Amino acid sequence: MKSSLIDLGGFSIHISDGILEPQWCLFWFAISAIFLGLGLRIINKRIRDDPIYLPRISLIGAVVFVISVLHIPVPVTGSSSHPVGTPLAAILIGPFATVVISSIALFFQAFVAHGGLTTLGANTFSMGIAGAFGGYSIYRMLKKISPLWFSAGMAGFSGSIITYLTSALQLSLSLNPENVMYYWKIYSLGFIPTQLPLAIAEFALTGYAIKYISETKAEVIGSSGIDRFTKIAMIAMLLIVSIIAMGAYIGHLRGGNMAGVDGTVEWAAAPEAVPGGIGVELMARFGEPIGFAFVGITGGLITGYFWKAWWKGWRKY
Amino acid sequence: MPDWLMRDPLNGIVLTIAFFIAMMVGRYLRERRSRADGILIEPGTRLIISFLLIIAVTLMENWYFPAAISVFCMVIVLRLKVLRDYIKKIIFPFVLASFILAVQSFTYGVNEIDLGTIRLYSEGLERGLLIFSKVFASTSILILLNMTTSESDLLTSMHSLRVPGVILEMSSFMCRYIKTFSDEGRTLKSAQESRCGFSGSFTNKIKNMASICGLLITRAFSRSEEVYRAMLSRGWKPGLQFSSNAMKPHRYESNNNRRT
Repeated sequence: MKSSLIDLGGFSIHISDGILEPQWCLFWFAISAIFLGLGLRIINKRIRDDPIYLPRISLIGAVVFVISVLHIPVPVTGSSSHPVGTPLAAILIGPFATVVISSIALFFQAFVAHGGLTTLGANTFSMGIAGAFGGYSIYRMLKKISPLWFSAGMAGFSGSIITYLTSALQLSLSLNPENVMYYWKIYSLGFIPTQLPLAIAEFALTGYAIKYISETKAEVIGSSGIDRFTKIAMIAMLLIVSIIAMGAYIGHLRGGNMAGVDGTVEWAAAPEAVPGGIGVELMARFGEPIGFAFVGITGGLITGYFWKAWWKGWRKY
Repeated sequence: MPDWLMRDPLNGIVLTIAFFIAMMVGRYLRERRSRADGILIEPGTRLIISFLLIIAVTLMENWYFPAAISVFCMVIVLRLKVLRDYIKKIIFPFVLASFILAVQSFTYGVNEIDLGTIRLYSEGLERGLLIFSKVFASTSILILLNMTTSESDLLTSMHSLRVPGVILEMSSFMCRYIKTFSDEGRTLKSAQESRCGFSGSFTNKIKNMASICGLLITRAFSRSEEVYRAMLSRGWKPGLQFSSNAMKPHRYESNNNRRT
């Protein structure tokens, strides 16, 4: 064997090549690329200010990778498995830097058959974005009202659960788009026997590890590196996504077919779309998620680019 | 005009273009091999071919092409005598693909297949088998790539694919220190085990494991300062290692020529 990367054992949810449909591979790549770009921007800025940040973040990334493949004892099942590790990394180096570190780790893990190259975007989203940001948000929310070990532990627990729920959602969106909620439930239930005990173990591991570090070398626990604008944008994004998801779920519980949000978006975004027009044709060819992702990216880029100019203009009035 | 020539031309055009482009690429690879001391395919080309092959497998709608690719990979694995490593690595994707096969077979479709106590759906079974064969084929390709290419070769080829320098620098650091920290973690764990550190309750075990993790992180933090000092003493600056300018030989030559 030529590669010197350590072997990974245990069971974890890295989606392999060949499972997701091509349009979903592209969709998750597009979403992850935005976060990766933001992460790289933050890292480059920190390296320019303080060049020691490069070896520091790389070495801490290497350690978090090693921790994420260490076999930890799992309660109830009596077996062992390896943790997600991204909530711990997010607490140490910030969630955006964690996206970069986890995408590098996932790229190399793909070569030992944990994950894949075409599913790198999907896996980066579930582990490096959903897991890291979810866990980090919980950590920040609980930090002021509970002990450090508990907030870190809850970050580990929720990060692990969010990662597996996101993976299950990715599978159901791609494989069974006609009945997403039903299959999301089935895939999530399938993962529970291994992943729930693992999340409990991750709670204890992350909590104790952060407690140990805060007692021995507190300066390792760094800041997020996120500015105010990004923070507010992230909160707004999470809020809107939560409202849409909750609305869809309530609709599903009332016997709806989950098409309500789709219809609303179509009605609001393109009320006068010509059925045979190029936009509709392109969406039919590449799938609706790609089309709406393209619209979202274009709109977001223009808004972000002219944000300051618009804001200054509004303040004059 | 023969009848078969006057039908839908798309498949014929695609086949012809694919064949001739592949032929030109094949000739180019053979020429590169003769220039590169007998290396069959250069690592960068190997990475691109594997990626394209995996994309092709992902797009396939029939199970027999992925199955043929899997068999082909198995033959190479047997020739390389690395069957044990291959089986060890393919277990995880195999479990995930089996899980998806089971979910699809039991829940998706309308045409039932009655197997006595078990009832399957033919549409689900078909889709599950297709996914299963795709996973098997693409994973086999990746495992083969892993077995024949080192990380440094991969990083060098990623540089030629214009991956950002900071990602390459971080990747090279990570590749180097993952092995070091992995060995250190193993040493710490065996030291704890020899002192009965991993006996007793779950809380005790996890506390000891967490202290190993914490220790590894604080060590990484301290070591990064030493690494940085060592890098500076060797004339390092951000972006130096994988700078595209530094790796262009013609720039250096042209400067020399100008001087003479």
